[in-house]
Amino acid sequence: MNSVVTHIGYGHFLVLSAILFAIGVVGVLIRRNALIVMMSIELMLNAANIAIITFARMHGDVGGHSFALVVIAVAAAEVAVGLAILVAVFRGRRHIDVDRMTTLKY
Amino acid sequence: MRTSLVRLVTGLAVVAIALVAALSLTGGVAAAQPAERAPGAAPAPTAQPGTAPRGTAPRIQIVDGAAKPAAAPAAGTPAPRIEDPRARDVINSNGPAMAVLFWIFALGMIGGAIFVITRRNMIAAVMGMVGTFFAVAGLYMMLYASFLAVIQMLVYAGAIMVLFVFVIMILNRPEDEPWGLVGLPGKILAGIALAYLTFRLGSLLASVKAPADALLAPPPVVVPPGAPTDAPTLYDWGSTAGVGWNLFNEYLFPFEAVSILLLVAVVGAIAIARPLKADDDDAAEGDAAAGEAS
Repeated sequence: MNSVVTHIGYGHFLVLSAILFAIGVVGVLIRRNALIVMMSIELMLNAANIAIITFARMHGDVGGHSFALVVIAVAAAEVAVGLAILVAVFRGRRHIDVDRMTTLKY
Repeated sequence: MRTSLVRLVTGLAVVAIALVAALSLTGGVAAAQPAERAPGAAPAPTAQPGTAPRGTAPRIQIVDGAAKPAAAPAAGTPAPRIEDPRARDVINSNGPAMAVLFWIFALGMIGGAIFVITRRNMIAAVMGMVGTFFAVAGLYMMLYASFLAVIQMLVYAGAIMVLFVFVIMILNRPEDEPWGLVGLPGKILAGIALAYLTFRLGSLLASVKAPADALLAPPPVVVPPGAPTDAPTLYDWGSTAGVGWNLFNEYLFPFEAVSILLLVAVVGAIAIARPLKADDDDAAEGDAAAGEAS
């Protein structure tokens, strides 16, 4: 069989992370629900984490794991603040459609 | 709707089974290691600064004064030891079984991600997200990042997704129009861009030449002197002890900065989501929301 299929290397993980990042970008661009947009941002952060850990494994440096841990913590903080903003926005406007959020103060 | 739910549950079950298989494979490496290494004479690791040669001693032992008084001359101040777990690759990390696992995880991850961005039902999207996160945790496992795989499952699939589900329950709005309104030129442009991206990624994947030792057991990790050696794989590359040693020695300031960031995020989230009591026309609704929250 083809060695690309049976012989897994670092390139596979990097391409996978690129595909996941592209799916996240598509989700941010085409969806109008702000919650789905935030989930797509999480997908992109995960893609970045996969790339970081692949490079850490490639260079044999555990520091990449520490960095990925920091990325996870930042993602958690981003989700907490972002969902709070969404709840505050929904309280005033009764929708979370990003195409209709055109003003900062409602 | 029901068929999609059945498909989702099936996909999640497949991902879970694959994850259990990966975990058991990795655990099998750890379990089979001492039995195989003990009878044979272990070759000395290549890099061992600051320690005496240990001959035929099992590689797992920590060198300290109490354990090996004869072999370690500097018994009073033992230096950090460097393990070589490259010899622990009992299973063939480049073999077809690992390839099958990789493709299962890759399909679960991409399928879950596409599920997330195409569903109208937001709970279904969250379930696809959980499947994606479990598949990503499996990929971390394949990259020998066991600690981060567990953290991924705990923080992402556990905490963050529960937060999303809570907010979905609070908002409780059926989505009216999931897709943005684009005309025919936009769709053509998007199709061209997607085809180009797929072509580039496919050509990149086809040109990948994996090195022969691409996914073998990872390089050594520094073991602190006098550390407990309860588990034979305690200081594996990417384990909790290995990541913690790196995090608290080299990246202590970023760690503390992250704690400050989390504190600021918690305070900010509370300050943002709090009902505005001073607003006159919003007061009744804010009180109602506060009553719901408490």
